[in-house]
Amino acid sequence: MATTPHQHASADDPRVLLDDHMGLYEPIPPYPPRTEREQEFYTLGDGEMFLNAGPHHLATHGVLRVVMKLDGERIVDVDPVLGYLHRGVEKLCENADFHQTIAYMDPLEYVASLFCEWPAVMAYEKLLDVEVPRRAEYIRVLTGELNRVSSHLLAMGFHALDLGGITPILYSFIERDEIVEMLAAITGQRMLFNYFRIGGVNGDLNHDFMSRLGDWMSRAGQQVAANAALLNENEIFVQRNRGVGTMDRVTAIKHCWTGPNLRASGVPFDLRRAHPYSVYPELDFDIPTRAEGDSLARYLLRIDEVKQSLRIIDQCLHQMPDGPVMAKLPRLLRPRPGRAFAAIEGPRGEYGIYAVSDGTDQPFRFRIHDPSFLHLQSFTTLAPGGLIADWMTLNASLDPIMGGIDK
Amino acid sequence: MTALSRTWGRLTTPGKVVFTLLPILVVLTVGLVVAIVIFGGPIWDVVLANLGVVRFVAAATIILVITIPIAFLNIFLEMKVIAFMNLRIGPDRVGPWGTLLSVVHGLKVLMKEDFTPTGADSVVFTWAPVVTYAAAVMTVLVLPFAPGLYGQDFNIGLLYFFAMGGLGVVGLLMGGWSSFNKYSLLGGLRSAAQIISYEIPLTLSAVGLLILAGTMSLNTIVQQQSGWFTDWYVFRQPLGFVIFFIAATAEGNRTPFDLTEADSEIVAGFATEYSGMRFGFFFFAEYVNVFILSALTVVLFLGGWNAPFPFPHLAVNLDPGGLGIPLLFLLTLGPAIATIVLAAPFYLARSSMRWWVALIIGFALFNVLTVGLILTWGFISFSWVAGLLWFLVKTFTFVFVFVWMRATLPRVRIDQLMGFAWKWLLPAALLNLFVTAAAVVVVGS
Repeated sequence: MATTPHQHASADDPRVLLDDHMGLYEPIPPYPPRTEREQEFYTLGDGEMFLNAGPHHLATHGVLRVVMKLDGERIVDVDPVLGYLHRGVEKLCENADFHQTIAYMDPLEYVASLFCEWPAVMAYEKLLDVEVPRRAEYIRVLTGELNRVSSHLLAMGFHALDLGGITPILYSFIERDEIVEMLAAITGQRMLFNYFRIGGVNGDLNHDFMSRLGDWMSRAGQQVAANAALLNENEIFVQRNRGVGTMDRVTAIKHCWTGPNLRASGVPFDLRRAHPYSVYPELDFDIPTRAEGDSLARYLLRIDEVKQSLRIIDQCLHQMPDGPVMAKLPRLLRPRPGRAFAAIEGPRGEYGIYAVSDGTDQPFRFRIHDPSFLHLQSFTTLAPGGLIADWMTLNASLDPIMGGIDK
Repeated sequence: MTALSRTWGRLTTPGKVVFTLLPILVVLTVGLVVAIVIFGGPIWDVVLANLGVVRFVAAATIILVITIPIAFLNIFLEMKVIAFMNLRIGPDRVGPWGTLLSVVHGLKVLMKEDFTPTGADSVVFTWAPVVTYAAAVMTVLVLPFAPGLYGQDFNIGLLYFFAMGGLGVVGLLMGGWSSFNKYSLLGGLRSAAQIISYEIPLTLSAVGLLILAGTMSLNTIVQQQSGWFTDWYVFRQPLGFVIFFIAATAEGNRTPFDLTEADSEIVAGFATEYSGMRFGFFFFAEYVNVFILSALTVVLFLGGWNAPFPFPHLAVNLDPGGLGIPLLFLLTLGPAIATIVLAAPFYLARSSMRWWVALIIGFALFNVLTVGLILTWGFISFSWVAGLLWFLVKTFTFVFVFVWMRATLPRVRIDQLMGFAWKWLLPAALLNLFVTAAAVVVVGS
């Protein structure tokens, strides 16, 4: 029956008394603490316990692992553990042709892929001094805004799903599916488009895309408003979100937040207006902001952004000029030695690419700036003090994408 | 046979107990009925002498057996209704409109590996689903399905119901504690906190009704509500009804109060480490609970098996024996003639119709027609058939509401859940009780 530990030397033996080896089942690293923070985090106080969520937890939006220190249901401290999706994209890109690197960009942001291709091609165009045709720029803005809408719809749906509502995600997916189908009509892919090229885009708009887009635009505003009405006036949903994960504007700026999360804290910073690129200066749209800075503000701000994106799409369709969609470029690109940084406003914030050229056909150095990584670092300040359920709300409202975080 | 024996080998001890007990009870009941039919008088005398025992055996059998189709029906309803609300198609592969999918789900759960994790307290772990399932099943005993169709008519029926229903949480707590998993532990403790908190408004909201009814026997409460639908207690206890339904939602661990198995927070709560039929029992218990809580709401507040208006009693007494020899001709020739008559239009209308296809259609139509006629006759002539139908219609309306809420609402947070119970439901239930008591004192019962 009961065996004593000294009879079985191996800790892997299941017959070993578990009481003496409880630590085996705790999410404590097997090495001694390396930093003061680790020392502090992995020391349990009175009545506290660890809860390991992930990397295969249902609410972590990918393979994020979060070790929570709990006092009952209340979170005392959290420690996000990264690296489960690390592919070494930056190093891969340094060993690839300039054209090939664009394909590596897609999986960084697998919900809105175009927004990681965009800064890469912009950086290369700066290195090469290429003039992009205006029609290509309009197509980039058009497809990009469509992709932003699809990403925000997904974020709204998953927000509800993390809070236990199972229907909004499916309603969101109806619209998102229509968008990815029409993007597939011009790019050939539903998810990882690989559509932007250095000096333009990979193909003009076709009839399939335009007819689908026309159909969808006639009902998009109504559909989005109807889907949002399912949640916005739901008392349970509002109560779950209001005052959860509140970020004031000073701390948000200190934590290098960008995108909807920053604007929900009251900072009207949008790269499309702050550092205009592409044809955005020619387009008329507003930068919605909210003062509260909590999860509800971040959720509502995404709905406002969807409305603005629909405005931009409408203007793009009306102002789209004729002309080529690719600049004349040699097949083998050898930019002059130098460095370039390009950043664009994505659905989660500022995506930036820093590329250094040494005159060969490969980037000498390649660095990716991802907004989700910076939003994720605020977990340790926002989650403690809340309940386990608040952490789900926080995670859903920050809307991180693990592809870019782990690179 | 090998599949069956393999399945049997995979069952746990409680599973084997249940699946041994079930056939024995069925055989006993069927044997009793056969004995009465064959031997008649003497057996009938024995039965009448021991009516209590016989009734108990029959009720136990029927209740154990009936929970399975009820759970299957609820599971199918949930899958299909939520699918329609999500603009999906839902199950449509197994059986017509996917109706047999929940049966296949049941078989799948039965065939799965029965796994006990290392470090789990295996005895508690094994018996936890049984406790939950038994608690759910035992509450069915006092439910009056129709006039004269109930397991037992206690004069403390409602008290028994609440006592047995409250036992279910013990099983959840046992499962959560013994699984050696922190998600399970959190789920088990959540369920304990939640169900104990909501038990109080649930019971208190029914006390106002008890003052009016003057009895705890569910059968008597239903009889008091006969007549027009305005006699239902929901019109005399509207606040009590609302509190009762909200608290019942929490008691059944249903959305928006399904924190016990909040899948986006604590994976599957108390059921995280369960697999196979042990998980199946938890699953069944949940859906049986939905039916039971709907049924109790109907019994207490919506008149149980009473029709919403005074139902005209038109007993059509059929005496087939009075026909004599022509009855034989009717029995032998009736189906054949009816089949041919019903098949003829199909055969004549379409030249491509084969004669045997037309006959199959005719035979199917004849069966549908016969069953329909018999049901209609039963509905008109027997009060229990009509009562059962009204009861099931009302109950499944509430099951639909539970499913509807699951498709629509997000989940509340644990502190909001507890705050809602203690700060809002409990004072409201006390107010309801006070107003009812005062009204009874002033107006006189």
